Amino acid sequence: MSERLPFQANSARIGNLVGAGLREAPVPVDAGAEDRGLDVVLAAYAEWRPERRRNPLPRLALVLAGATLLAALLLSPAGASVRDWVGDVFSAAPAPSRSGLAAIPGGGRLLVQTSTGPWVVGADGSRHRLGDYEEASWSPHGLYVAAAAGRRLSAVEPDGSVHWSLAAPGTVRDPRWSPSGYLVAYRAGSGLRVVAGDGSEDRPLDESVAPLAPSWSPDGRPDLAYVDARGALRVIDAANGRGLDRATALAGIQWLEWGGAGSRGILLEASPRRVRLRPVSGSHPRGGPAGDRHHAGAIALGEPRAFHLPAGETVEDLALSPSGNKVAALLGRRDGAGARRTDLMIFDRRHRASVRLLSVPGRLAEVAWAPNGGRLLVGWPRLDEWLFLPTRPVAGTALAGVAKEFASGSGAAFPRVVGWCCRSAPDDAG
Amino acid sequence: MGTEQIAVEGEAAPELSRRRERRLVRAAQDGSADALAELYTAHWRRAHRAAYLVVHDAAAAEDVAQDAFLAAVDALDRFDRRRPFAPWLHRIVVNRALDWARREGLRRRVDPEGAAEEGVEPAGPELGDELMAALRRLPPEQRAVVVLRHLLEYTPGEIATMLDLPRGTVNSRLRRALDQLRETIGADR
Repeated sequence: MSERLPFQANSARIGNLVGAGLREAPVPVDAGAEDRGLDVVLAAYAEWRPERRRNPLPRLALVLAGATLLAALLLSPAGASVRDWVGDVFSAAPAPSRSGLAAIPGGGRLLVQTSTGPWVVGADGSRHRLGDYEEASWSPHGLYVAAAAGRRLSAVEPDGSVHWSLAAPGTVRDPRWSPSGYLVAYRAGSGLRVVAGDGSEDRPLDESVAPLAPSWSPDGRPDLAYVDARGALRVIDAANGRGLDRATALAGIQWLEWGGAGSRGILLEASPRRVRLRPVSGSHPRGGPAGDRHHAGAIALGEPRAFHLPAGETVEDLALSPSGNKVAALLGRRDGAGARRTDLMIFDRRHRASVRLLSVPGRLAEVAWAPNGGRLLVGWPRLDEWLFLPTRPVAGTALAGVAKEFASGSGAAFPRVVGWCCRSAPDDAG
Repeated sequence: MGTEQIAVEGEAAPELSRRRERRLVRAAQDGSADALAELYTAHWRRAHRAAYLVVHDAAAAEDVAQDAFLAAVDALDRFDRRRPFAPWLHRIVVNRALDWARREGLRRRVDPEGAAEEGVEPAGPELGDELMAALRRLPPEQRAVVVLRHLLEYTPGEIATMLDLPRGTVNSRLRRALDQLRETIGADR
């Protein structure tokens, strides 16, 4: 540290002045930043510690929790193929096969995207293909599906009949029905648009947005979050296009989801290496009831709080729980031998804790929460199964032979679950 | 956007003695969260200041500091506790801050209008200060060596190791940076 700089004679004096300036310069720091960072670091440390250090109790607790879950899965009536996984992990084992979709554990209906189009799977396991659509998503009460094919956006009834359809100025992507049922946001080409739930009043909201699905406020107001082409996270009132707030979006963001928690919910932002939650707050001085299309209110995006991802793991899919309090994430990694593994992690926002619910060889396809938040659906292409996992240690269920149930003459690629419907009873709002 | 108040960084935590730091690292490696918290408290402000002076963005500096500590936790069992903790941490901080600044610079070149709109220019409370303004005008690579040399007081040789650069490159970056800074602060002092 006593080394002299090898240039001009007064460099040391300038260096001293610079050093003093750097030490004394006022550095803006967000109130609570240090404490927030410490919370995150200690949470990460709590995960790190049991893996390698003395302190056998947490490790034992983890093993017991895992054993409880495994036992629950193995004891479940449809757990045969989970036994395959156990065999795969712990020893070689024959792979008994079961096929045929049964009743959906926990009830509800699934919207499934396959290479031949979207299918609706009923609570009893019955299924119906909707048509030649490339993307689809549920309306809030499952009365309709917003379906996209090329430049066409359609509202389709679950039996496949088309309720309305419109031609957009660009390829339609990521249609999302608002929780009130009154509006449908979608990307068309590079822009973002909105149309009324009856197919009328189609109009642009932003000319240039990031290739990412927008997300509606969970409270029924027409507030829409999206990321623009410049990387700004924006919240607008989609009823009138007015900007409500904005912030810098997570770099490399690939997932954006607005769920229910706190005064105006919580926003999940995630990239392959970062997962963070941002509280949303606000007031509605002229606000009417939920679903009021013409409210004008303030909204504020809070400071995001990041979850620590284990070293070397990348996000492959994730979903915010209906309450907004938990995030389920599929994290891919390589094990010590270089083999690919996928972990299912649950991050708990309130308790600042995370739990590894599953760790399997190979890839898991996607994760979705049950409408009541009590179960998770995880696709396991390698075993051609959907796992319905409880978030607490009670019996889980596996449905096997999934891909061939949706095969229609052109192969049997593993399908993608794009929605699990619905949280409440249908009403006239969609 | 954020609702919390932006404050100006206050008093630094007292420095740890070398012996105390070694004990804390050992305890943290053995599972003591209290020891890790003490290490964090002792080093966060300096790490955050270094990050800020490279990135000139309050939120990014917070992220960089947090990421650096997380990386340190991940690598804690590999850390040689006979060595001082700070250089190890500062190496992570400055390299991550550099990565961020380069990315941000690229983003500004690609989309100068958006960058300005999104407040890439510093939004700190008192950044009209001449030195800060002059520092901000330097390329991030020069800012990094200035911060390592004149804030954190590493030698050019140590900086070369930290940034994985030839020592001559460090010296030339320092020289160019100080030449520019001299114009701001040297002439009138």
